[in-house]
Amino acid sequence: MHHGFRSSTSSPLMTVALSVCALLTAFALTGCRLDMGWGYNQGYSPEQPIPFDHSLHVGQQKIQCQYCHNQVERSKHSNIPALSTCMNCHMVVKTDSPHIQKLRDAYDAGKSIEWTKVHMLPDHVMFNHSAHVARGVNCQTCHGPIETMQQVYQFSTLSMGWCVNCHREPENKAPLNCSTCHQ
Amino acid sequence: MSENHSHHDHDHSHPHDHSHDDVTPKASLRDKRYWQSLEQWSEDPEFQKMAEKEFMASPLKEADAESGWARREFLKLMGASLAMTTAAGCIRRPVQKIVPYNKQPEEITFKVANYYTSVFFDGSEAQALLVKTVEGRPLKIEGNPSHPLTAGGTSVRSQAHILSLYDPERLQGPRKNLLNKTKSNFESIGTTWEAMDDEAVKQLNKGGVVVLTGAINSPATRALIGDFCQAFGAKHVVWEPFAHEEVRSGQKASFGGDESVPFYRFEDAKMIVSIDADFLGTWLQPTAFSHGFTKGRKDIKNMSRLVVFDSNYSLTGANADIRIRIKPSQQIDVVMGLLHEIVVKKGQGNQGWKSTLEPFADVASKLRMEPALFSRIADDLIANKGKSIIVAGGLPTLTEQSAQLQMAVNALNSALGNDGKTVESKSGLAGLTASYADLASLKKDLAAGRVKTVIIHKTNPGYALPESFGFHEALKKAEMVYYTGDRVDETGRMANYVIPDNHTLENWSDAEIGRGLYSISQPTIRPMYDTRSMQLTLMTWAYLAEKGPKRIRDYETFHDYLRAFWREEIYPKAGKGMGFDAFWNEALQAGVVGTQTSSSARGFTGSLGGAKPSSGEGYEIVLYPTISLGDGTYSNISWLQELPDPVTKICWDNYVSISIATAEKLKAKQGSMLEITIGDKKHKLPAHIQPGLHDDVLAIAVGYGRTHAGKVGNNVGMNAFQLMTISDDGKVIASGMKADVKNTGLHYDLANPQSHHTLDGRQIVLEATLKQYLKDPTAGQHKHHVFSFWSGHQYNGHKWGMAVDLNTCTGCNACVIACQSENNTPVVGKKYVMQGREMHWLRIDRYYVGDPANAEAVFQPLMCQHCDNAPCESVCPVAATVHSDEGLNDMVYNRCVGTRYCSNNCPYKVRRFNWFNYAQKIDKPLHLALNPDVTVRMRGVMEKCSFCVHRIKDGKQKARLENRELKDGDIKVACQQACPTGGIVFGDMNDENSRVSKMAQEQRAYTLLAEFNAKPNVAYLAKIRNNDQESRGGHGAHGEEHA
Repeated sequence: MHHGFRSSTSSPLMTVALSVCALLTAFALTGCRLDMGWGYNQGYSPEQPIPFDHSLHVGQQKIQCQYCHNQVERSKHSNIPALSTCMNCHMVVKTDSPHIQKLRDAYDAGKSIEWTKVHMLPDHVMFNHSAHVARGVNCQTCHGPIETMQQVYQFSTLSMGWCVNCHREPENKAPLNCSTCHQ
Repeated sequence: MSENHSHHDHDHSHPHDHSHDDVTPKASLRDKRYWQSLEQWSEDPEFQKMAEKEFMASPLKEADAESGWARREFLKLMGASLAMTTAAGCIRRPVQKIVPYNKQPEEITFKVANYYTSVFFDGSEAQALLVKTVEGRPLKIEGNPSHPLTAGGTSVRSQAHILSLYDPERLQGPRKNLLNKTKSNFESIGTTWEAMDDEAVKQLNKGGVVVLTGAINSPATRALIGDFCQAFGAKHVVWEPFAHEEVRSGQKASFGGDESVPFYRFEDAKMIVSIDADFLGTWLQPTAFSHGFTKGRKDIKNMSRLVVFDSNYSLTGANADIRIRIKPSQQIDVVMGLLHEIVVKKGQGNQGWKSTLEPFADVASKLRMEPALFSRIADDLIANKGKSIIVAGGLPTLTEQSAQLQMAVNALNSALGNDGKTVESKSGLAGLTASYADLASLKKDLAAGRVKTVIIHKTNPGYALPESFGFHEALKKAEMVYYTGDRVDETGRMANYVIPDNHTLENWSDAEIGRGLYSISQPTIRPMYDTRSMQLTLMTWAYLAEKGPKRIRDYETFHDYLRAFWREEIYPKAGKGMGFDAFWNEALQAGVVGTQTSSSARGFTGSLGGAKPSSGEGYEIVLYPTISLGDGTYSNISWLQELPDPVTKICWDNYVSISIATAEKLKAKQGSMLEITIGDKKHKLPAHIQPGLHDDVLAIAVGYGRTHAGKVGNNVGMNAFQLMTISDDGKVIASGMKADVKNTGLHYDLANPQSHHTLDGRQIVLEATLKQYLKDPTAGQHKHHVFSFWSGHQYNGHKWGMAVDLNTCTGCNACVIACQSENNTPVVGKKYVMQGREMHWLRIDRYYVGDPANAEAVFQPLMCQHCDNAPCESVCPVAATVHSDEGLNDMVYNRCVGTRYCSNNCPYKVRRFNWFNYAQKIDKPLHLALNPDVTVRMRGVMEKCSFCVHRIKDGKQKARLENRELKDGDIKVACQQACPTGGIVFGDMNDENSRVSKMAQEQRAYTLLAEFNAKPNVAYLAKIRNNDQESRGGHGAHGEEHA
């Protein structure tokens, strides 16, 4: 650079004042909430508009995951089932439940249900469900004992370290390139 | 560097002969024969300074360093606070919702693309497309490989027109203008379709209706407009600025029969002579022609020869084997001179023309070229009878003698037996019927008050006609003007109602993509706004008025009309005996049905009598369209505005190109404001000093200077259509007008990114003449022995690589826009282009070669070279750019901290830095065009070509899901897909049978800066120029042409 920076000229008082300011701002911005997984959202379990119970559907009724999440083998993203999929059964099953009525009302009105997203990756991470399913990775490996969950929670940290630890296992023969996940 | 270079071992075993040092580069790193700008050629100290500095703008202002509170101090504190917050450790989670479908659409798999066949038509060329849609949202335009004329090639405009769908300034419903009596004001209010329709029916019933449209390529729409005209006794007038009327009327005058535009089979031609017809860039069907032209040059030993007589430095001229600079008035000299050579001197063809041709005996000296070369061109034409083409046409040929020029060209093609072989009279597009003569008679009718209602569709007379023609005033006499444009543009402001048409991607339509080749254009998205297709508007009016043939009234949608039309008209011609439903489905599935009609030879019945030799000195105007903007219709697409012109490399402006000698005479520098006087009118434009231009030429691009195109396109450059003159019978003069020019002494900055990424004169482009290549198949390349202190990577599976054939690259830039569309590359605007901050991942470098006054050009697409020993990787302090085990140079945006060391260390200058949060500045709904498979980068992050790594992964995953091995050709990167000439090939270098490794093994293949041992994975194949020179000469060594 042309002149270089003069780093020692500012007053010490100003430095201290600014440090305090910066710290306070940083705390305010991060909006802290302590979770089970430090820094990640492990254990995150938001309430859903309809208390869909995986332990009932999967655990007791033994419905296959792919019955509802039917595109998981073909797509990068696993789909949340369309209302029409729910209605396949709930046209006749448990029609008196207020939750099912809510579902049917939305279905009849051509509307949808706004589920709250549980598992979320940053935009620069590209996870591919179909690639993992095709390699025989169980849903439970990442999503945990989903068949016992009354309300779905985030089982894994979904951190980069967690991804890489699995990819690193020699028996998995998984690629370890940066572009495997970041593109 | 040069001291170090003496340590290199040079490989003397290869066939290259070092004794001809004037012929091939010496063992010096600097190859001065190739240069990118005049400043570089003349070794201007300013340029040297800039090249050494390499990066133009410092991120910090000098003032930052002066003030006590410097940035570094701030960073120190930020470092402390960041460390503390991570200890506290938590991330704020924004709550996101997932809203599933109500009923699962059968065809949609979440995030898996569907491709729909469609068509793009820009007024003169139709391309068959595949539109990539994800969850009902069109994302990217791809070429349809089953189109026989382009084989999947696209153009910059077809790639970019997806942005016009998401243009934030599109009208969202019909508008009514509250015009005053003199129609001098402008005030628009919203209206309803019902109210507008009711009024329209009453208005139409009064009679005096004219439908004014651009060229209509859709057979069904043509039929519908015909039905509508029948219903209301209306007249259909077709006009658009590039009418190709000179070609059509020339055909009729020469051969009789119908007026139609021929198709030119460049692939069958061994000798091609173009007189200002920019058939590779902007004339007629450039994508199909580029495909055909390069097909005839891939077998190098039998490659065709292209001779271009060029007034402007066109893309076709840049691809010429022999390029001769002329001025527009000399066009007639060239063709008549060639006829003279062939008929009088060589005694071929109609000897009755001898006396007519006599005044053209000494054309060569007039063109200041060697008579031997001119005679050689005539010899080549005779030697390739029936296998040659002479073409002339387009704006630069619309001179006083445009009709005579066409006649002479037809006479020459006929005398050489090309007609019916390479020139197919019946195979051009049927829809190209635009006519200035018809427009002129419409103007007369309007002025006389004979026209009450005008419906204007897909043409913009408000912008593209000169005021002097008087159409704008005449249009005010109409009681009612309807305009179907998607915005209140120059024509919209003159209309009583603006009734927005659907975008082509929202609409059903069909197309004739070649005579006899039919395509259906499917809607790929539901209309985004309250718009209605022009076709349905006409159908509604006929229905409400209860007029017209049954079919226009009976069908409820244009889709039904279209299907019925296809059943009646197209199916019997192209049905091939299958049922109609099967035929219809095949048309939708394949995108193309039918076969192109062929033509037979005709007898020339015209006369050459009217042609007069050019005379006189003085400046002449040349108007030309650019490959990016064309007639200016797509001015509001930022990708096109920021795309550098292939030859001048300037973006975001038009300018007047002048030769070097003229610049010296005018004491003008690059950017000097010139005042051009034509007749009594004065125009001001900045100067661009263009090598290889005739000294009397002032070349100006049309398509700029829109006033109501939108935020992007408004007031960019100057509207050069105003320079045209149109007579009252529709004769257009767009070039060859005499002009005066003077330097105003003012300066205007032009944005030219070509000088930004200079590679400082090393062996970058490799080129050989055909004669040289036949002796030395390495094309005279200089091989280096290199030693390496790298242990090298192991590539056990795939190793991705690319091959770029410079001999097939025409520099059309389709790949650049395809890359931009695929990879969410931001547009930065003129100001930042001037600071060297353009973001294109793939650029096309243009090198000039030889004497600046008469320079030839070479194009080279340049993207990340994905080096095995990548210099960028070793300097990244945070490992944000690292090597993959498949040979890719991965860029990890979330790791990048923006040191820009990598860019500093990249010898190819392909890395781009995000100075701002460009993505945040994208106006909605333009963000819908972003590709969800590619990360949108933020400020402070370096980015570059990824070899479309997402396409690689998709291809591999697709093969895995289908339980098969990945085949060569399964993965096509975006630039490769868009290329109309097949110049870019991508594949697995570890597979020795893949196309890419075969190309990389060819003898004329080389890698850039091989001596630095970065080991790039992009192989370039040398360009071969089919002229008669023994080799590429150095400065001023063009023996055959003297400037």
